[in-house]
Amino acid sequence: MPDKEKLIEIKDLQITFGSGRKKFVAVDHVNIDIYKGETFSLVGESGSGKTTIGRAITRINPVSAGEILFKGQRISGKISKELDREVIQKCQMIFQDPMASLNERAKVDYIVSEGLYNFHLYKDENDRKAKVEMALREVGLLPEFASRFPHEFSGGQRQRIGIARALIMEPEFVVADEPISALDVSIRAQVLNLLNRLRKSRGLTYLFIAHDLSVVRFISDRIGVIHKGRIVELAEAEELFLHPLHPYTKALLSAVPIPDPELEKKKKLIIYDPSIHDYSSDKPVWSEILPGHFVYGSQRELDGYQAEIAAAG
Amino acid sequence: MKNAVRDESFRFVEYSADAAERIGYSNYSYWRAVFQNFMKKRSAVVMAFVFFAIVIFTFIATAIGKFQYDELRTSMMEKFTSPNSEYWFGTDNLGRDYWCQVWYATQVSIRLALVVAIGECVAGIIIGCVWGYVRWLDRPLTELYNILGNIPTVIYMTLIALMVGQSFLIMAVSLIAFGWLGMARNVRNLVMMYRDREYNLASRCLGTPVRRVLVKNIFPYLISVVILRMALSIPSTIATETTLSYLGLGLDVNTPSLGLLLRNARNYFVNYPYLLVFPAVIVSLITVTFYLVGNAFSDAADPRNHV
Repeated sequence: MPDKEKLIEIKDLQITFGSGRKKFVAVDHVNIDIYKGETFSLVGESGSGKTTIGRAITRINPVSAGEILFKGQRISGKISKELDREVIQKCQMIFQDPMASLNERAKVDYIVSEGLYNFHLYKDENDRKAKVEMALREVGLLPEFASRFPHEFSGGQRQRIGIARALIMEPEFVVADEPISALDVSIRAQVLNLLNRLRKSRGLTYLFIAHDLSVVRFISDRIGVIHKGRIVELAEAEELFLHPLHPYTKALLSAVPIPDPELEKKKKLIIYDPSIHDYSSDKPVWSEILPGHFVYGSQRELDGYQAEIAAAG
Repeated sequence: MKNAVRDESFRFVEYSADAAERIGYSNYSYWRAVFQNFMKKRSAVVMAFVFFAIVIFTFIATAIGKFQYDELRTSMMEKFTSPNSEYWFGTDNLGRDYWCQVWYATQVSIRLALVVAIGECVAGIIIGCVWGYVRWLDRPLTELYNILGNIPTVIYMTLIALMVGQSFLIMAVSLIAFGWLGMARNVRNLVMMYRDREYNLASRCLGTPVRRVLVKNIFPYLISVVILRMALSIPSTIATETTLSYLGLGLDVNTPSLGLLLRNARNYFVNYPYLLVFPAVIVSLITVTFYLVGNAFSDAADPRNHV
C-alpha cells in the first residue's frame, strides 16, 4: 500500500533499559510504517517488546537509537513543547488492565476530562460537561455515570471509560495495548466492535498490541510478528495467516486453538527453536519477499522462503 | 435431525442498550462514608466528645474561675492552700490560684500540639511527595533523613533552648523542624508504592503535569495515613512538650504549660499531691482520648473499610 499516507514511521528503533552491565535491549532494529486509517497489529509472546514499542510512540519510554516520525515530523528524543503537546493530543493510548488504569479515588467526570483540563480544551464548564457527556455516549455509557467512581463499574464498562478518556482528546492515532486481554470473554466482542466502529466514524489509526491471534485476524489490516524485540515477519493479515514464512510465525499460528475438538486433537504443534538460524557468516536482513510481505532472515533462508512461495503457487 | 428446532419457537426480545448499561447506584461519597464508619464506633465517639468537652471547658473554666491568669499575685500567706471553695484547685508554692493556672496551661498545651501537628503535616506531606516522586532526590533526602533522624531530639532542643531562647514560637518551630521526618518518610514510602501504578501512566499519556498527578492521583490515597499520623502527633507533642518543660528545655516560665506545672509540682508533691494530680490527669485524658479518636478516624478514613 505505498500510495497511502504514512502516519507513523518507525526507523531502526532501538529501546534499552538500564545502563552499563545491567543494560537490556528490549527492542532492536524495528522498522514499521503505519498508514493512515489502518489497524496495525503487533503480536508476539510476553516480554517480546510489543508494549515497549507502543509506549515509545506515546513518548513514555525514551528511544536509545533510531527515530519515530509522526506525519513526517520526528517525535522521538528531544522535541519542542508545541510538538510534544500535539503528539500527546494526537497519539492516545488504551491500557490493558481496566482495573489498574483508572484512578479509584476520582470520579468518572474527572477521569474522562483529565486531558481537557491539561490543555484547557474547553470554553467553559458547560462545554466541558457537554464534551464528557458526548464521549461517554460515544462509547455506549450513560451520561449520569459521570458522577460515579470507577469501582461501581464492570470490567467492560471500565475499559470503555478508558476509551472515552482517550477519545475526548480527538486523537488520530491510538495505541491499544492489549485492550481486551483483561476482559471477560463475553464482553471482548463488545469492546472490539466499539473500536472498529470508532475507527470508521472518526478515521482513527490503531496500533493494536495483542497476543490473541484470532482477535488479531479479526481486527487488523496488517500484522507484525515480534520475537525478542525484533520484528521477524510483517504482512497483510490474511496473507500472514495463509502463507506464514518465518518459523516463529508458523509456530505461533500453530498454537491457535481450533474450535473443533476433532481437529484440535489431530493438530500438530510446531515448536520454534531459535538455534535453527545460523547467522554466524550469513548475516540476516529485513527483506520484502513479496509486495507488502516482509521477513527477517539470512540470504539462504530467504531463498528457502522463495522456494516455499513458488511451491505454494 | 433430532436437534432441529422450528424457527417459530423463538422470537427476538425487545432489547435496549441503555437499559443494559444501567447498574446499581450506590451514591457513594468518600467523606460521608468516613463519617458513617466513625459514628459506628461508639467508644471513639464518646472519646471525641470527652476531648472536645475538655477543650471547651478550658475556656469556660478560665472564665468562671475567681482569678484571671494575668492578675495572679504571689502571696506567701496563702501558699499550699488545699482545694477549697475559694481556690478550687488550691494554690501553688507561691500562693497563686491553681485552678486558673491548670486550665490556662491546658489551653497552651493544646494550642501548641495543634500548631505542631498541622505544621508537621504540611511540611511532611510536601517533602514526602517530592522525596517519593522525584527519583534523583531520593538519595540526598534519604541521607538528610538519616542524619537528622539519628540524633536524639533532646540534644537539638537543648541547643535551641540555650542558643535561641525559649518561647511558644521557638518551641513550635523547632518541634516542626524535627517532627516532619516521620511523616515525610511515611508519605514517601506510600508515594513510591503508588507512583508507578498504571493509572499514573495513563495520566502521563494525557499530559497531566506532575503537580496534578501528585494532588489528584496520589494524595487521595494518603489521606488515611496522614490523618493517623496527625492524630498520633497531637498526644505525642503534648507528651514531648511535657517532658521538655519538665527538663527545663520547653516553654519559658511565663507561658505556663502542663509540663511546667508538673515540673514545679515535683518538688512538693509528696506533701501536696494535688499539685501533681490535676495536671497529670488532664495530660493523660487528652493523650488517651485523642489517641483513640485518631485511631478510629484513621480506620474510618481507609476506603478498604468502606462497604
